[in-house]
Amino acid sequence: MSAVAARPRLRVGIVKMASCDGCQLTLLDLEDELLAIAERFEVVEFPEASSSRSAGPYDVLLVEGAVSTPEQAAEIVELRRKAKLLVSIGACASYGGIQALRNWSDHDAIRAAVYAHPEYVESLAAATPVSEHVKVDAELHGCPISPEQLREVLVSVAVGRRPQIREEAVCLECKRSGTVCVMVAEGMSCLGPVTQSGCGALCPTFRRGCFGCFGPREQANTASLARALKTGGCEDEEIARLFAGITGWSGPFRSIAAAYGGPPGVMPFAVPAGTEGGRDDRN
Amino acid sequence: MVIDERMPYAPYPSPIGTAVAAPPTRIAASGGGGPWFLASANLGVLIDLLREDGRTVIGPTVVDGAITLAEIRAVDDLPAGIGDDQQPGKYHLVRHGDRRLFDYAVGPTSPKRWTFPPVVAINVGRRDGRAVTFETSSIDPPRLALLGVRACELAALGIQDRVFLGGPYTDEDYRERRRNALVIAVNCTSASSTCFCTSMGTGPEARGGYDLVLTELDEGFVVRAGSPEGADLVARLPVRGADAGQMLRAAEAVGKVAATMGDPLPTAGLHDRLLAQFDSPHWAQIAERCLSCANCTMVCPTCFCSSVTQRSDLDGGVSTSERVWDFCFTAGFAKVAGGSFRSRPRDRYRQWLTHKFATWVDQFGTFGCVGCGRCVTWCPVGIDIRAELLAIAPPLSARPEPARAKPVAATPGSYATARIVSVRPETDDVTTLTIGDVDSAFLAGEFGQFAMVAVPAFPPVPISISRFGRDTIDLTIRAAGPATAAIIGLGPRDEIGVRGPLGTSWPIERAMGHDVVIVTGGIGLAPLRPLLDGIIARRDRFETVRLFYGARTPADQLYREELRAWAARGDVDVQLTVDRGTPGWTGPVGVVTQLFDQATWEGQHALAFVCGPERMMEATVDTLESRGLSPDRIFVTLERHMECGIGLCGHCQTGGLFVCRDGPVFALSQLGGIFGREGM
Amino acid sequence: MTATEVPAPGADREYKVGYLTRVEGEGSLVLQVRDGIVTEARLKIFEAPRYFERLVVGRTADEVIDIVARICGICPIAYQMTAVHAFEDLYGVEVLPAVRALRRLLYCGEYIQSHALHVFMLHAPDFLGYPSVIAMAGDHRPVVEQGLAIKKIGNQLISVLGGRPVHPVSVRMGGFSRVPWRRDLDGVRAELDRAVEMAQATVALVASWDPPALETNRMLVALRHPAEYPYNDGRIVSSDGLDLAPGAWGDAFEEHHVEGSNALHARTRDGRVYLLGPTARIALDADRLHPIAAEALAVTGLADEIRVNVHRSIVARAVELLGACAEARDLIDGYRAPAEPKVPFTPRAGVAAWSTEAPRGLLHHRYEVNEDGRVTAAQIVPPTSQNQGAIEADLVAFAPSVLDLPQAEATQRLEMLVRAYDPCISCATHFLDLRIVERGRRRTTA
Repeated sequence: MSAVAARPRLRVGIVKMASCDGCQLTLLDLEDELLAIAERFEVVEFPEASSSRSAGPYDVLLVEGAVSTPEQAAEIVELRRKAKLLVSIGACASYGGIQALRNWSDHDAIRAAVYAHPEYVESLAAATPVSEHVKVDAELHGCPISPEQLREVLVSVAVGRRPQIREEAVCLECKRSGTVCVMVAEGMSCLGPVTQSGCGALCPTFRRGCFGCFGPREQANTASLARALKTGGCEDEEIARLFAGITGWSGPFRSIAAAYGGPPGVMPFAVPAGTEGGRDDRN
Repeated sequence: MVIDERMPYAPYPSPIGTAVAAPPTRIAASGGGGPWFLASANLGVLIDLLREDGRTVIGPTVVDGAITLAEIRAVDDLPAGIGDDQQPGKYHLVRHGDRRLFDYAVGPTSPKRWTFPPVVAINVGRRDGRAVTFETSSIDPPRLALLGVRACELAALGIQDRVFLGGPYTDEDYRERRRNALVIAVNCTSASSTCFCTSMGTGPEARGGYDLVLTELDEGFVVRAGSPEGADLVARLPVRGADAGQMLRAAEAVGKVAATMGDPLPTAGLHDRLLAQFDSPHWAQIAERCLSCANCTMVCPTCFCSSVTQRSDLDGGVSTSERVWDFCFTAGFAKVAGGSFRSRPRDRYRQWLTHKFATWVDQFGTFGCVGCGRCVTWCPVGIDIRAELLAIAPPLSARPEPARAKPVAATPGSYATARIVSVRPETDDVTTLTIGDVDSAFLAGEFGQFAMVAVPAFPPVPISISRFGRDTIDLTIRAAGPATAAIIGLGPRDEIGVRGPLGTSWPIERAMGHDVVIVTGGIGLAPLRPLLDGIIARRDRFETVRLFYGARTPADQLYREELRAWAARGDVDVQLTVDRGTPGWTGPVGVVTQLFDQATWEGQHALAFVCGPERMMEATVDTLESRGLSPDRIFVTLERHMECGIGLCGHCQTGGLFVCRDGPVFALSQLGGIFGREGM
Repeated sequence: MTATEVPAPGADREYKVGYLTRVEGEGSLVLQVRDGIVTEARLKIFEAPRYFERLVVGRTADEVIDIVARICGICPIAYQMTAVHAFEDLYGVEVLPAVRALRRLLYCGEYIQSHALHVFMLHAPDFLGYPSVIAMAGDHRPVVEQGLAIKKIGNQLISVLGGRPVHPVSVRMGGFSRVPWRRDLDGVRAELDRAVEMAQATVALVASWDPPALETNRMLVALRHPAEYPYNDGRIVSSDGLDLAPGAWGDAFEEHHVEGSNALHARTRDGRVYLLGPTARIALDADRLHPIAAEALAVTGLADEIRVNVHRSIVARAVELLGACAEARDLIDGYRAPAEPKVPFTPRAGVAAWSTEAPRGLLHHRYEVNEDGRVTAAQIVPPTSQNQGAIEADLVAFAPSVLDLPQAEATQRLEMLVRAYDPCISCATHFLDLRIVERGRRRTTA
């Protein structure tokens, strides 16, 4: 490749914590533009797609996944030092993601089980967003992130402008596309009004309610929506299950889910009182 | 339809009154005219003609459970026999079982989608070294025919004409799209409960701004032209002159719609009234419900705000700019480098409502609202702007309390007689008398009012009216002394003296759209039973309804069958407790406040109605306040020694208030320090 | 010892890859040789455990579908399909034929996308000698662009049916929340002719690449269906004559904990290692391939070699890729929208169990469900954890052929062997068995 541009390419790294790899895959899903991006940026670290490794430094580091083990907690601090811009990508990195649902369970019970077999890797008490460990320069939300928004972040870094990520409810994407509201017209439960846009209002377009995978929008009035769902006939536990979903560990969704009883399947203390490492049964 | 300075905007009333501007005479003179009659079978000819003229026909069709606007290729695409049922936050289709095409109100989309599309390319910017170029995107709007446009939508088009074309700077994209869209209006033959075009003076009859207007009859359409293009089109249709009978039926159909709508939102003086309420605490109350989801603005046919986005290549060398719908409820709308000017949802809602109904008038000379009701239907939590406007800026002619019937026999000396119809013991010492032959003023009484009840030789007693029937009222009485014992001792066909209905009532209208909490003990349920009747009769206007009722023992509970029936409904949370259980009682035992002092619900969105022994009310009020109910949303009813019942004898005075005349229902905020104070 | 030195014969050595690249998920590789004998061959998975089998407890079937998709970003559809079929089987739900066709079409999309990803972006660099597809594009741009184009068509197909390629949203109990719009189907149909051509070229291309030599004879396990190449449906069969209903995986197989790993391994109940995936499917179901794919396989003449040399899995994947493109085309041509996108259902208590063929191999789910339709316990067995035994056994079998190579090259060859399995490591760490010790008594949850 003959490089005409004199400016050095920006060094990009893509790493993962605890996640499904879907957000990284979104970069590879920018099929038409992938090679152009690879020319404009130097992808120095991307273990899923490249055996060329680099320990940094990075101009842009995309981090996918929730911090879930002590090793990861140490690693993210190290990575932050080496990155000029750190962008967390996806619901796991931004909110803890689906695996953060385990945070509702009592960790001592899980930990006691884990340490019963010392060869197991330790896990942290909670699967947490990257922002709880290091400063994050930007967050891309979604499960997975939107390829358009990823592209926009990369372009804005390249051009030097602020990324244009709209701060609005999913409802705007629905109405702009002319999709009929699933809640008003079909009585479905939909978190669209309290969820960040970015997916193109996928679920209502496919005639089901939004389940919040882009996370809460700013000043999400979850209390009002929860009341409306209840008036519409939902039981408390249905409402709790809806909010305690992919991004259920985020602040606004977590508190409303708790107010309605919390998610199902929460693990109680399994180690009875008096056992070493155990506690009195509080459940 | 050509938009130029010769063609005035769709006629629109001035904000000062509801006078309707006359249709522009130019249209009448241009040979528009009619009316003609087009048989149902020939509507397809119209659609075919429009398509032959190279126009895409945009009209109503059923998509995903709603009547929305989309491309129409044939009459079969239209929603034959289908209508809609619209409530705040709820929409569903209904089948009429006929073949009529336009018996529905408006759907979520409006013509705005085509004249002011959600996404429009504006320009392409290029940078090459030092040089920059901006190439304005060419406007190449499709030729359209908008079919089925309602009067409110015509008014909305007129309003947007004023916004985009009536000022010093114009939007040429809008102009071209308007120029290329033929407007075929339809007069409304049905309205939904959310429509209020009559209040805004925009309908239901289309009065101008169209090329053609149709009014549907069972057998076809009465047609009028409104422009030269419209007249040309009619000339090519298989129409004949409409006869007098058809014209009459058309006019009646539209007139009926107007009559059913009434005037839900009196707009006289609304501009000033609303601007005077900039600091009303009500904005914060709405904000508790408002999701800031912007749905209202997007379905609104007049909201015109937008943002500009850039999409560039990786170097920023080529960038496309687009104008996209964006509205004042989104977070970034009022943001600048230092922060946002309108970060709180209550500020955003205030911005929207005051713009729509007040400052729009200052900017553009008309209201911004056409009364189509879409924002009411498509709000996910069902906020009804008519109710909110009435609450924030009530019409000047309306008094804080609704007008009520003048009491019967309202002097201390006079009584009207009524006859006991039935007697029903409720408990050992409480009996309900149903009395009939009452003056109609009693039947028009309000929940919470009372009557002065008398039998000769005994002192008259104040008794709450515990039910308003069709031609009877109920009085629930405890035998507390000789007078009440005498009254209870009467039987069917005995007569009795009554004065009333007297006193203030439970503010049920204020509770609409809110949660309701009712706390009562013992016979205190009696004055609250009419309130429960009223709530249940319009259950969908209220959010959660909770009743907490404590009695000394299970045998002391009033209205046991009704309590069971309310609980069995499933939409009223009935919780009972007793001070002392008896064998067979499996419910809670304890004071009534224990039913909710540990509950998880919060009262920020609730109104509470409390009645019972004063100490019980004091404890209840304390607990309610700790649950987030503010004193202006807690209502109590007080009992005092009453003799005249009309504020002349002084007995029931407490502080500066006469309980019989200023109460017995009070908001806690009215009572201030009086409530619960020793010696009051 | 330096990377380029050749070790002395008989010397002890260790081959270690601390972080496997161009595989999905986080794993490491260790091979120890002592006195010329391989003493340890271990694929260590250190991907953090994500506890999915716990996360679905208390959830309804439709929620489970959304949750289990998040086990894998590359094969979410396999998880959604296995879950939905398991619950539909328990609840006695019969989907409409057109819906069944749409599900196969969706799975075709996943095969196209996943196999294109692996063949071109993860595996091909090994054959052509590059560290990544990006580096490979420098010299082989047309090949890379072809791979990206095929992958894009797979993604487009999934998006048309499910909204987005990763974690699609429309799979529901009883069918789909909405069936695809005709105009969208027409759009992707227009691309599929080109996809078939490109896939045919891909088969020929990858068949022309010489693989490292390896010959093993492993027990192969796959689904087999009377009429179709197996995706959603079929009986579990093996090269040894096994024949089970798709929900009866547990009758013949079981999971174990193996020291040093966050993942469970699977074995047959009599302790044998077995192999899943394209190799097994081609071996056991070649007669069900789409005629176009069968033809392409025959032309390569590699059917037998595929069976014994896992490095040839790239050819198997390319053949399946072609089959998926061709079948997708046929399915769209024959599609008529169903009367309803989904049919109603009534939950009941019991065990919901099913297996489908994910691109990487047989995937099995088993849910215990109560009468309210809520999951009380779950077992999810991904293909990669089932293949782990085979991977390690193959490492042992393969190691002798690399002992004489320089350290770096030998290590790279071992890593390439692991990649031939297209391991999906994030999937493999679905669950950490919680053994809760109560006063000396062991009680396993789930």
